Amino acid sequence: MIRTQLGRGGLVVKAGGWRVAAATAIVIAALALAGCAWKKGGGAGAGEGQQGQGGLGQEGVGGSSLAQFQKTGSLGAGGPLGDIHFDYNDYTVRQQDGDILKTNADWLQKNAATRVQIEGHCDERGSEEYNIALGAKRAQAAKDYLQTLGISADRLSTISYGKELPLCTDHTEDCWQQNRRDHFVVTQ
Amino acid sequence: MLTRMMLAVAGLMTLMAAAGVSALAQTTESTVPSTLPPIRIVGAERVSPIAVAQLKNLAGDNDHRVSSVFTATLLRDLKLSGYFRVIDPHAYVEDSQSSGYDVGQFNFADWSSINAEFLVKGAVKRGAKVSLEVMLFDVGQQRRMMGRKYVGSPHEVGEMARRFADALMESVTGTRGPFATKLAFVSTRGGRFKEVYTSWLDGGSLFRVTDNPTINLFPSFNKAADRLLYLSYKTMSPALYLVNLDRGVETRIEPPLGMAVGGALTPDGRIVGAFSSAGQTNLYLLDQSGGEMKALTDEKAINVSPAPCLGGDSFAFGSDRSGTPQIYVMDTDGGAARRVTYKGDYNTAPAFSPDCKKIAYEGRIEGVFQIFVSNADGSGARQLTQEGSNEGPVWSPDGRYIAFSSRRGGSSRIYMMLAADGKITGPLTEGDGNDTNPAWSWWIGG
Repeated sequence: MIRTQLGRGGLVVKAGGWRVAAATAIVIAALALAGCAWKKGGGAGAGEGQQGQGGLGQEGVGGSSLAQFQKTGSLGAGGPLGDIHFDYNDYTVRQQDGDILKTNADWLQKNAATRVQIEGHCDERGSEEYNIALGAKRAQAAKDYLQTLGISADRLSTISYGKELPLCTDHTEDCWQQNRRDHFVVTQ
Repeated sequence: MLTRMMLAVAGLMTLMAAAGVSALAQTTESTVPSTLPPIRIVGAERVSPIAVAQLKNLAGDNDHRVSSVFTATLLRDLKLSGYFRVIDPHAYVEDSQSSGYDVGQFNFADWSSINAEFLVKGAVKRGAKVSLEVMLFDVGQQRRMMGRKYVGSPHEVGEMARRFADALMESVTGTRGPFATKLAFVSTRGGRFKEVYTSWLDGGSLFRVTDNPTINLFPSFNKAADRLLYLSYKTMSPALYLVNLDRGVETRIEPPLGMAVGGALTPDGRIVGAFSSAGQTNLYLLDQSGGEMKALTDEKAINVSPAPCLGGDSFAFGSDRSGTPQIYVMDTDGGAARRVTYKGDYNTAPAFSPDCKKIAYEGRIEGVFQIFVSNADGSGARQLTQEGSNEGPVWSPDGRYIAFSSRRGGSSRIYMMLAADGKITGPLTEGDGNDTNPAWSWWIGG
């Protein structure tokens, strides 16, 4: 278990109840960038905190949708692997997307040292929590499919961003369809 | 003769310092002795005009700062209650500094002439500590209904006003008010990242809990409101974090159960967490350090949004095990889940009322989410909201109000409404960005 202590200008990481000096130093440096998270609020309606730039305990994963969103505030496709899309509140790989997954599998066969994180995404409808679970199903569906095409499971990890990282923010079916997707990020 | 000494919990002092969660650590609250008249029940359907006079300065409050903070906070809370219409102070004819503040020391006609049905008057002594004595009067009957004395630090005057608002509502309506409570919510104010905040219900003492440019969601209090659970992507993948608000320390909750999806605290501080493994999301009961105590669901389906009931051992949750998202209830000790909702094809985000008798939830109707309330067995479902898209209902500790997020004004805000009829009593948040995922604490200090 990792404990993070947030205090005035300091963040202490404890592992198993003991401080880890090196980690502490690193995270304190990160916090110095972020500013103090535990800033006491002021009077009624006042005391808004600062916008952090560094954040707490980040570990960059190159090219993920979240990393893109952090850097630019917007997302794009990209990378060697193609996205697939889903019907509303559904996680079944559609027949027409089988070719995309076949192409992705071929690339993975040719680049055998690579690993991929499959991101499940949803449209804006429904609760945040339900959509994180739905995105997990969508990511798993692609993982299962790629395994049937011979890709080893230990090269495929999954994550769900639910409806938190939409490609498109209009409230239209066309936009929602773009957002109901699996995105594939080569992580090494 | 009632004399109650409340809230001398020294440990909460550190909480104030560490997390901005003031809890009247050194403050005493006591009732002013009186022969109380019978309680008058005022329905929310009838809004009563009330006047709140500036507090009479007995010592040290020459700039009326204490008085101004107290009356402004009390007026804000009374407006939010939905039970009162606050009479504009410019209409007051009495000089509260030259008149007295108890029966026989001022002229009720000064208040009946401006049509006040209820009147709040009081006095302040300000030194190193602030002492307040505040009374509620029935203007028509020319009687004192109740009074409270408060002694505490100058920065606790707002909390004294919230406690007085709660006592005032108990005196007038028979049910303690919901204002000495905390709101937690998620907001994108100040940027594009969702961060977790806490404040008093009325917005005072806004405090930013998270500060990382990722995604932070689903704040949840325990009953003592000294712990806050939330989900964060701060390490670039989702995990639950349990904040000790007393000490300003948080623990990452990472049982080997898969990807964290969400969770909530039980009243006694255990965790019901939703974790996804191989695409299936199930609920688990965890201890405070994240150790697994029990698998609550074991379904090849989605099981999310656990909502423990405060007064019992059960919780509601959302599941698509029937094919569409619906609300279920089960015991925290395990056992079979009982389906609550049948109408509609997308019901989720349940919240148990504090007495565990009712469930609020969001349901999709004509493509838009609205707030519904039903009995815990699903009977008697009623739609409470109509305007805009409305999500994430939570109950007040008195069971009389529901807070939720709504896009009715364009961007998303947290609103408060009466659970009985859906009457909106006010927005609880303001400013830029979108506010979502409200959580409503029990009364601070009990």
